[in-house]
Amino acid sequence: MMLPKATPREELLTNLRAAYARMWVRLRGSNREVTGLVAEIGLPILTIGAYVILYRAIGLPPTAGAAVIIGGAMIAFWTNVLWNMSSQWFWERESGNLEMYLVAPVSRMSVLLGMAMGGSVNTSIRALGIVLLGIFVFQVPFQLADPLSVGLVFVLTLVALYTMGMLFASIFMLYGREAWNTASLLQEPVYFLSGAYFPRIYAPVVPFALQAAGSLIPMTIGLDAIRRLAINGEGVAAVWPHILALIACTLILFPLARRALNYMESLGKKEGRLTLRWQ
Amino acid sequence: MAVADFVKSAGESFRVGWKIESNWTDPVLFATYQVIRPLASLLIVAFIVIIGASVGASANSAFYSQYLAWLIVGNAFYAFVLQIMLGMAILVHVDRTRYEVLKNIYISPGTLHPYVIGRGLVSVVNGAVSVILTLLFSVAIFNGLLHMNIPLNLLGVNLLMLFPGVILGIISLLAIGYMLCAVNIVSNRMEFILGDSVSGIFFLLGGVIFPIALLPSYVQPISNVLPITFLLNTVRESFGLLPTGDYMTDLAYLALTTLVTLIVGIAVFRLAEQRAKKLGLFDRKSEY
Repeated sequence: MMLPKATPREELLTNLRAAYARMWVRLRGSNREVTGLVAEIGLPILTIGAYVILYRAIGLPPTAGAAVIIGGAMIAFWTNVLWNMSSQWFWERESGNLEMYLVAPVSRMSVLLGMAMGGSVNTSIRALGIVLLGIFVFQVPFQLADPLSVGLVFVLTLVALYTMGMLFASIFMLYGREAWNTASLLQEPVYFLSGAYFPRIYAPVVPFALQAAGSLIPMTIGLDAIRRLAINGEGVAAVWPHILALIACTLILFPLARRALNYMESLGKKEGRLTLRWQ
Repeated sequence: MAVADFVKSAGESFRVGWKIESNWTDPVLFATYQVIRPLASLLIVAFIVIIGASVGASANSAFYSQYLAWLIVGNAFYAFVLQIMLGMAILVHVDRTRYEVLKNIYISPGTLHPYVIGRGLVSVVNGAVSVILTLLFSVAIFNGLLHMNIPLNLLGVNLLMLFPGVILGIISLLAIGYMLCAVNIVSNRMEFILGDSVSGIFFLLGGVIFPIALLPSYVQPISNVLPITFLLNTVRESFGLLPTGDYMTDLAYLALTTLVTLIVGIAVFRLAEQRAKKLGLFDRKSEY
């Protein structure tokens, strides 16, 4: 007997429900443990504090401290993308959930979308905590002339960043211990390339090759735009190229993520690696 | 337990740990992974100083060259802290929850102690590889590629001053790693936080990228009881980046803080072991 075929509307609703369900799990799971929340806000302050003191030691202006606080907050998103998005299929496979996702009558992209929505909301709470605590502890100046533009650039940056996370999730799907090592590997080099802890990456003293490599990461572009708007007091006119670049990143990365996911799933089925644990 | 048995068990544990951490890829890629992370950390602070110099901040170029050398050495040897703290903080979780072998190790005649030491020594080897490669790459990049004439002579290091400091520092870090294992035996919520927390505190308070004199005065007493502070002082003195007159004092403080850390580490571990046995925590499995 053939099952009735779902209409496009029913299919969309099912996928949206799956995304909502995955988001709910993420929100609930990450916020039920208070020590984790406190640590995720407090830990970056240790590193930020070290860099703010270094800035003072070498005589840079206080705005450099503001730049590093914003950088530290954005790093929280990158960490979330790496460990809770890119490596997620690896964790799910280790805990035996991946096969359940694969047999569910929904698109894998809706599951990834749910993870991204939940992750971005969770991390926004932590990033806000980092910025507020950073401002309170280090007393650095901000010059926010156009909050709406900051909001727009921030949202575009998150969309591009989490789309990149979806692409990575597909690539990481078949990893064993490489997942852990690769996620670790992508931390400090990206902190460096994105200029998260520099006053600015697009400065004449930074070699062009580094700036170009950094620009491949959406966070670099978004971070520079947010700093211009929130620290230098510039208007939206100064960050138009950034906005276009972030939209372009999303438009390129999303179809790539979809194709990569289908390819890796098919490869995993052929090689029988989708349920392989303890590699 | 006889010393020979302890050493044998620790050796076997080292062998297992080394295979787990390294045989997922080929040696060249493994070495690349080992060096990229500390090198990127180094480049972050180095570029901060370079940008500081370029915007004409307070001091002359000689100050920046000297400071960069000081910072490179501190940052390179901080790799020991990162490797040992992160490696030992996650050890109990991985063996108890992921591989589910902690209970088997505990009931085997070898006991947990040599096992933990052996696994910690793997982190020490990884740290040593990172330190050596970071120093070599630093000289190649800053003096070779960028011609910055940083006063960092790797061949002029006083090894007789370097080794005692590094050995004591590693013992103290292993003792702290021992405490992290102990905490994780009795808890199942801290494994992803502990290593980063402790290494973050050492990064801020240990004089890794700036002298501890720049910290607020009420925080400096904490820096002055951390082994990492004296480890980095002795290392910088052996590189000729600090006056060597203070070497013996720093080494004595390092020995003292190491001894205290070791005693506390063993005591905490034994307490955690007793509690875990009483409450049946050695085979507790947690999922998120």
